[in-house]
Amino acid sequence: MPTSSEDRVRIADAQFPKPFEGGLEFNAPAHGTWNIVHIGFKIPKAHQIYICADNCMRGVVMTAAEMGELNRFSSVILEEDDMVFAGRLEESTIEGVTDVLKSLPECPPVVIVFPVCVHKFMGCDIDYIYDELSKRFPDVKFVRGFMDPVMQKRGTTPDQRLRKAMFDIIPDGEKDGSVTVMGCDMPLSKDNDIRKLLEAQGVTVRDEAACGTLEDYYDLGKCSSVICSYPAGVLGTAAFCKRIGRPMVYMPFTFSYDEIDDALSQIGVVPVFNGRASSDRAVAGLKTLLGDTEIALDYTAVPRPMSLARFLISNGFNLKRIYLDAIDPDEVNDFNWLVSNAPDLMLCATMHVKGRRPVRHEGDEKILAIGQKAAWFEGTEYFVNMIEGGGLYGYAGIKAFIKLMEDAFIVPKNTEDIIPRKGLGCCCVL
Amino acid sequence: MKKAYKILPVYTGDVSGFASALYELGGMLVIHDPSGCNSTYNTHDEVRWYKQEALIYISGLNDIDAITGNDDKFIRDIVRAAEDMKPKFIALANSPLPYLNGTDFKGISKIVEDKTGLPCFYVQTNAMHDYTKGASEAFLAFAKKMLKPANEKIKGGINILGSTPLDHTNTKFVIPEGKTIVSNWAYGTSLENVLKAPQAEMNLVVSSTGLEVARYMKEAFGIPYELMGNYLDVKRERSRCYIVGETVISGFIASEIKNRYGRDFNVIATTEITDGLLSECDRKCHGEDEIRDALSDAEIIIGDPMFELISPKSAKFIRLPHFAMSGRLFRKEIPDLMRLEDYYHEP
Repeated sequence: MPTSSEDRVRIADAQFPKPFEGGLEFNAPAHGTWNIVHIGFKIPKAHQIYICADNCMRGVVMTAAEMGELNRFSSVILEEDDMVFAGRLEESTIEGVTDVLKSLPECPPVVIVFPVCVHKFMGCDIDYIYDELSKRFPDVKFVRGFMDPVMQKRGTTPDQRLRKAMFDIIPDGEKDGSVTVMGCDMPLSKDNDIRKLLEAQGVTVRDEAACGTLEDYYDLGKCSSVICSYPAGVLGTAAFCKRIGRPMVYMPFTFSYDEIDDALSQIGVVPVFNGRASSDRAVAGLKTLLGDTEIALDYTAVPRPMSLARFLISNGFNLKRIYLDAIDPDEVNDFNWLVSNAPDLMLCATMHVKGRRPVRHEGDEKILAIGQKAAWFEGTEYFVNMIEGGGLYGYAGIKAFIKLMEDAFIVPKNTEDIIPRKGLGCCCVL
Repeated sequence: MKKAYKILPVYTGDVSGFASALYELGGMLVIHDPSGCNSTYNTHDEVRWYKQEALIYISGLNDIDAITGNDDKFIRDIVRAAEDMKPKFIALANSPLPYLNGTDFKGISKIVEDKTGLPCFYVQTNAMHDYTKGASEAFLAFAKKMLKPANEKIKGGINILGSTPLDHTNTKFVIPEGKTIVSNWAYGTSLENVLKAPQAEMNLVVSSTGLEVARYMKEAFGIPYELMGNYLDVKRERSRCYIVGETVISGFIASEIKNRYGRDFNVIATTEITDGLLSECDRKCHGEDEIRDALSDAEIIIGDPMFELISPKSAKFIRLPHFAMSGRLFRKEIPDLMRLEDYYHEP
């Protein structure tokens, strides 16, 4: 199956896992997803320093400003002369970071330094930079961040590598029987069966996304086992587990009952209630409310959009479109199920040039969107405002998700005000 | 260290300036960049993105194409997008990696022009300058490529040069009685509107982004230009009252205060374009440390609220939010710069 040069394709005609041809890229004005700045601030007391050109700097510094975190953020600006003279890039980076750290009221315990594409392109000696900084500031733990999107099309993304670097500083603590959940930016919700069921069994659950202090963060290494709950966190979590010798279970928010039961049994818990029946009752209620309402979803809302699509289609909902640019290879089974059972379901690119002129629904009927990008492309104010699965998991998670769909269908939102805000769930001073 | 910013944000960058300047003119603007430029621009530097259509894209450059200098993909993608989106022209902007490998944008523009039949031009950026440079280059490149001499002049006609949402909230500028605005470059405007520019008798430069295109139109079409409020004609003395920000707008406000209240404000120009735009009492500053030093003896400061972070506590600070500095943070507070009484009250 060839990739589509168009901005949308029937799922039955779509190439897996990349349905669309590459080309010039559009960026929709929906910014609730987290970027490397939001992610870096998950380490309490960490200070971030970026070393890049003006235009690249603007995006990250304003992210920090809109979070009200400028006192934990600094910049070193690269100019033309840094690119021309051998060794200048290393010197500018080291001296710039040194200057910043010496000027702070107190030296932070953790500093995330972000070199950029240019450092890689110029063959900059990154190891030398960190070695020298560590010599100058022996009490600081330096985290090796990277802002190099030029690499992300063929390899890992900067945020995947950042998560790994952030986990690299967590020490191997003495095992205390606890479970650490990591990899996702959304703290575990109260409607998360991982947390609920483990805690019901008396197991302490540590949440990487909800560390209040640096000590809490370092204590993540005291666990006896680790759960990774988000695809972008797998690289880092796997490396962390390998380093400290702990088992890892990957448990993204799925809508498959079988997967939930399998995963929960892997971490040693048995649902204490009839989850499937309870979930089915919630689904029936939602179906009564929504009827044949058109639904669209996007890849930013949940880590398993194909799983959600299969769940909705198999329960008789009128899901019409999925907004995504690629499909997680782990979702191959759900993709194939959809190809067979919903061949006309449309996959719509979010970055295609035609996205600038979205084909919006004309008419008075409501469209329910799941995710901010879907809301923008559909032009609807009825949407579930969620990223990364919202910290939900299991039957409790599915029921909470259904409740969010009901609320979204009933109460309109101010889409224009909500979705351009960055980093859903972070502090936002706008 | 000049290059270190401990707490102050940087201004909007040159690539965003390029996009902002040409936003409303119906072209397809392509930034040769891996990722990030477009998101940064439309999130922090552009108020029109949510509702008003503009064909602004990035190339999505990857490492192999950057290293091998694979321009064919870039060209192919531009041509295909142009076929899909039918722009009126195509403008290309540079970013650090293509800048480093010496990508031949002029050559690429020529090839794209041949393949699409559309005017295509390069705007000299590299993401290492502020928005004034990018917008200025964009206006200039557009004018050189797109403007034709006028057969007739419009009596009393004026072009407004250098108006973008990065500097101005209002597209209605005060002009002398009896004059009419021929074109606005380029906020609240259109391609048809700006193409009328050669019919004007005078150009009015309302920010430093409009200076270079004003000079070009003087040379190419014989249109003289004035700076907003002719602010350089207002004599100001040295003082410890400072206005920090974009050169022309700061100069204009300083002259308005002098005219109205007799108080001398000195401009601390913190954007890049300053040549011929400062009075003797004014100065140019680059980088957080230089700005902090320049403000250290201040009695009164007018500036974006971000500058308050590096201002002496003893100084009276008058907030004048500037979108190209603080972005969306204080957007609702940004006044109409033409109405001094709305943001300046003589202490």
